[in-house]
Amino acid sequence: MSKLSFRARALDAAKPLPIYRGKDMPDLNDCVSINRAVPQMPTGMEKEEESEHHLQRAISAQQVFREKKESMVIPVPEAESNVNYYNRLYKGEFKQPKQFIHIQPFNLDNEQPDYDMDSEDETLLNRLNRKMEIKPLQFEIMIDRLEKASSNQLVTLQEAKLLLNEDDYLIKAVYDYWVRKRKNCRGPSLIPQIKQEKRDGSTNNDPYVAFRRRTEKMQTRKNRKNDEASYEKMLKLRREFSRAITILEMIKRREKTKRELLHLTLEVVEKRYHLGDYGGEILNEVKISRSEKELYATPATLHNGNHHKVQECKTKHPHHLSLKEEASDVVRQKKKYPKKPKAEALITSQQPTPETLPVINKSDIKQYDFHSSDEDEFPQVLSPVSEPEEENDPDGPCAFRRRAGCQYYAPRLDQANHSCENSELADLDKLRYRHCLTTLTVPRRCIGFARRRIGRGGRVIMDRISTEHDPVLKQIDPEMLNSFSSSSQTIDFSSNFSRTNASSKHCENRLSLSEILSNIRSCRLQCFQPRLLNLQDSDSEECTSRKPGQTVNNKRVSAASVALLNTSKNGISGGITEEQFQTHQQQLVQMQRQQLAQLQQKQQSQHSSQQTHPKAQGSSTSDCMSKTLDSASAHFAASAVVSAPVPSRSEVAKEQNTGHNNINGVVQPSGTSKTLYSTNMALSSSPGISAVQLVRTVGHTTTNHLIPALCTSSPQTLPMNNSCLTNAVHLNNVSVVSPVNVHINTRTSAPSPTALKLATVAASMDRVPKVTPSSAISSIARENHEPERLGLNGIAETTVAMEVT
Amino acid sequence: MAEVGEIIEGCRLPVLRRNQDNEDEWPLAEILSVKDISGRKLFYVHYIDFNKRLDEWVTHERLDLKKIQFPKKEAKTPTKNGLPGSRPGSPEREVPASAQASGKTLPIPVQITLRFNLPKEREAIPGGEPDQPLSSSSCLQPNHRSTKRKVEVVSPATPVPSETAPASVFPQNGAARRAVAAQPGRKRKSNCLGTDEDSQDSSDGIPSAPRMTGSLVSDRSHDDIVTRMKNIECIELGRHRLKPWYFSPYPQELTTLPVLYLCEFCLKYGRSLKCLQRHLTKCDLRHPPGNEIYRKGTISFFEIDGRKNKSYSQNLCLLAKCFLDHKTLYYGTDPFLFYVMTEYDCKGFHIVGYFSKEKESTEDYNVACILTLPPYQRRGYGKLLIEFSYELSKVEGKTGTPEKPLSDLGLLSYRSYWSQTILEILMGLKSESGERPQITINEISEITSIKKEDVISTLQYLNLINYYKGQYILTLSEDIVDGHERAMLKRLLRIDSKCLHFTPKDWSKRGKW
Repeated sequence: MSKLSFRARALDAAKPLPIYRGKDMPDLNDCVSINRAVPQMPTGMEKEEESEHHLQRAISAQQVFREKKESMVIPVPEAESNVNYYNRLYKGEFKQPKQFIHIQPFNLDNEQPDYDMDSEDETLLNRLNRKMEIKPLQFEIMIDRLEKASSNQLVTLQEAKLLLNEDDYLIKAVYDYWVRKRKNCRGPSLIPQIKQEKRDGSTNNDPYVAFRRRTEKMQTRKNRKNDEASYEKMLKLRREFSRAITILEMIKRREKTKRELLHLTLEVVEKRYHLGDYGGEILNEVKISRSEKELYATPATLHNGNHHKVQECKTKHPHHLSLKEEASDVVRQKKKYPKKPKAEALITSQQPTPETLPVINKSDIKQYDFHSSDEDEFPQVLSPVSEPEEENDPDGPCAFRRRAGCQYYAPRLDQANHSCENSELADLDKLRYRHCLTTLTVPRRCIGFARRRIGRGGRVIMDRISTEHDPVLKQIDPEMLNSFSSSSQTIDFSSNFSRTNASSKHCENRLSLSEILSNIRSCRLQCFQPRLLNLQDSDSEECTSRKPGQTVNNKRVSAASVALLNTSKNGISGGITEEQFQTHQQQLVQMQRQQLAQLQQKQQSQHSSQQTHPKAQGSSTSDCMSKTLDSASAHFAASAVVSAPVPSRSEVAKEQNTGHNNINGVVQPSGTSKTLYSTNMALSSSPGISAVQLVRTVGHTTTNHLIPALCTSSPQTLPMNNSCLTNAVHLNNVSVVSPVNVHINTRTSAPSPTALKLATVAASMDRVPKVTPSSAISSIARENHEPERLGLNGIAETTVAMEVT
Repeated sequence: MAEVGEIIEGCRLPVLRRNQDNEDEWPLAEILSVKDISGRKLFYVHYIDFNKRLDEWVTHERLDLKKIQFPKKEAKTPTKNGLPGSRPGSPEREVPASAQASGKTLPIPVQITLRFNLPKEREAIPGGEPDQPLSSSSCLQPNHRSTKRKVEVVSPATPVPSETAPASVFPQNGAARRAVAAQPGRKRKSNCLGTDEDSQDSSDGIPSAPRMTGSLVSDRSHDDIVTRMKNIECIELGRHRLKPWYFSPYPQELTTLPVLYLCEFCLKYGRSLKCLQRHLTKCDLRHPPGNEIYRKGTISFFEIDGRKNKSYSQNLCLLAKCFLDHKTLYYGTDPFLFYVMTEYDCKGFHIVGYFSKEKESTEDYNVACILTLPPYQRRGYGKLLIEFSYELSKVEGKTGTPEKPLSDLGLLSYRSYWSQTILEILMGLKSESGERPQITINEISEITSIKKEDVISTLQYLNLINYYKGQYILTLSEDIVDGHERAMLKRLLRIDSKCLHFTPKDWSKRGKW
């Protein structure tokens, strides 16, 4: 054997081994020793015995000679095979049956005595036979019975007599003989038997005890183990099955939502077709709505499967707006939502310039593509524009990571709403939505522009921001300026207002800082207070505008004038529900207080507003409406019965109550889907109220106010209620619109081109579906809204479900 | 020169023995027991390095008293046994090696033994350290046995520092008892139990029962002197008189009989010929009480269920135990099937051999115990039995292996069978399309039902596996081929699978065996 230069591979039992024979056998010297590679198999013998002399000799002999030699055989004790009496002993012959022998079980138990007579017995038998006849078998049976009847103790003669059905004399003779023989017997029995084990274990080591019973403990233990294991497996199986069920249910829900979305898309396309919007001009026109659309788009994307992300997108929008102003906000948001940056980038980039609109449209279109995977979803929702932004905004190590078991709240639509409201005013909005001129109740002073948000544990946090107006604002006495609106925001609103209402005051407010006070007085005041009503109103407006966004185009095209607005509003009014009213009122109530005084004094529209009030609201006769409804609008509203968003001056609590009442009164006639959203409303309203109590806004609540109010309120509302709020918002929109119908809403009524435009847009968005008569519009509006709401609800549910799973 | 009366258990001395070639040899033997029959002393001797089956009762004439080695402890207790101080030095017993070196006292076989890797203890001795190694080596075996005997908990493997320790520590009496009485104790226990032994035995504490699967014991901790000695002198079975090789737990009262008479067909044991005669008038069996599942020519196989036919199974086991050292009869026969091979003549189906098989084996055993009765040995019946066992495995679609430990004869038989079977396959392989024939070990295993490990060990044993050019090859040298062909010429008895009528049962579904 050549030296092992390498280690041979292990022998593989599955690998073919070529066989070399005879001549073609390679020189074994070429072969490598495999001693190490192929482990030596044990012989299976006991070590000691393996070394025994004869065995080793035999083995070596075999290996040398390849066959055993006689002398090398392992010796064994001899055996003789010449029993000469064999034939006498085994008498007769046995013929081999042709068939295989098959033994019948019962044949084994032929009742033969186990006792075999011996020669000693034979002599006795011979002796006995002289007196009586007794056959060997008979004798053996007797002995056998005696033996088997007695264990350690011999049976008595009496017992023997009972046992043996024989002649008494014979019994006596045999019994005596048996007793004698038994005493001389060394064994325990005349019938030699193998020693039995004793239960006490004393015979465990007795070499003569054999054939013990096996205790079968082991097997049971084994079984038990198996049972346990299989039980656990079954449990696991069940868990996995239930998980599968959950997933399937969620898929089902998703597909349903998809279907809804598809229907909506279809509808949009049809509408566009009817309007002849082949070039997408109408869509483009609806720049304003695009942001809103985006928001809505998110629900659509939701269907694609990633609810969380969609929500994130929504939340992002508001942040974009605030981005420039507040770094803190952005940071915070980032932490919460890792993917925000993209969305933010998108929005920010898009919003400022009208150019972005088309992009948005694209995204809208894309919405309707159903994406199964989350990854796909985002890029589409977010236009390519966002990419550079992303780079600028790397999350880095601080990236948010979703935590298992943590329930994340749905996005705050209220914030988003603001951003969506007016695309044109995007820049202004940023300020407006985010920051309001704020006064504190304790200490009672004006802190300038600030934004409210809810911190951990529900704490209300004020994010202040410095503006040029600060010095001026500081001078403001909150009390004096009951309705003091933030410069920028109010300005926006005022602008709207001015346009809609054609009131010069608003314009003044916004333009000149020095006129702030006057502005405030003229109800341009921006409330920081979390007025649910206002918020919701604004929300509703926004929402309505958003939702119908696509339809807006249609509407817009068709309706360029106030008339359109009216119609649409009418339709809206029809759609007003209890909840809408409630929220509306809640929001407005606060504003009303402050506004009323000033409004009444300054505005001509007071009368009209007052008139409307009694109509709409039984309880609140306040003039707040006057503000919200400009003179022009008031005039328009003469015919309108709609309760309108006229908030009373009454205090919050009162307002709520009254609001409810009012709402009820108003709503009921028109009411369609009241009950559905009542719960949502309640939820949304309550936080709003609390917020209101905490912070008192100085600003007026005109229609303009609605928006800021929304802004403020939104942060105040608890995240929990977000989803509800959105619903509420929708409702509010309806309600808001309705007043517009009647009176010509602040916006709508505004003659100014921009305002008009906005108004129309908003109106169109709200009532997009129908340009036609109000009733028809209203019904359509409902239809439109409802799916959306459902979608929203669905989203909320789904998100929850996701997290639960 | 020691007196006959001085010979006690544990002594070692050359004993005259006639080998197969009818030559006288004087292999070293150990006295295991001494008995006195009508004033004549008989010594039960175990020839060192010979299998126990050759142990026998001898008269003092066959003992070479000049070379006697007493157990070492005994040296210090001469007075106790009235041993003269003439043997003051501890027994300068001759170890095989030293004996060999010193002269021709020892018979050749022993020298041969040395050639084949004897246990180390023995090899160390030639080193020539006179006293310590000698004593240790000489005493090791007896001592180790006595250890087993007396304190059975101590495993035999435990190195007992040479007997000096107990000898010096114990008072003379105690030492004597330990050494001297220990060995006699064996006998005493079998005859009339000595108190010493009793206490020792009871000190065993919780008796540990052997494992419940299988039928062989490799754990010899319970191997006391009783089971070390044959207890049945002779068994008459049909035409044959058998000399048992090992202990068998026949009823103790029968062990004193010169001949134990067994019914050839039902294997029932009787104390006398008269009993057997009487029995035969009642027993009409002419074949093993089971179903015949194979018959070709005069050879038949019967299957017996160890649960359904207890008495026959037990009787068979008792008989088999006489020839199987490691077989245990500790537990009942329920979990076993017994396949009895018979040879038919006009008197009936005479048992030739048998093998038992677990109904359910967790370790791929297809044979538990296997035995060809001595009168039929060396005539190919053993291989036939083995072949049949694998034939059953083939029907079952399993591979199998015999339960361990194998006996020497078992090893030889199985190796022979494996070799022939595998070589038969290898040589039967035709080269296809000029390519060199090849086969995997797994294929061999599947074809033969021989377990893979056994295939490998056989290939190794035959030295067929070689590593050539980066791969393993099988080389069939000329003499391997010749040897195989010659062997196959002699192997006339073969199992014909067509004659097997066997349907394996799924015992796991039957609840209890």
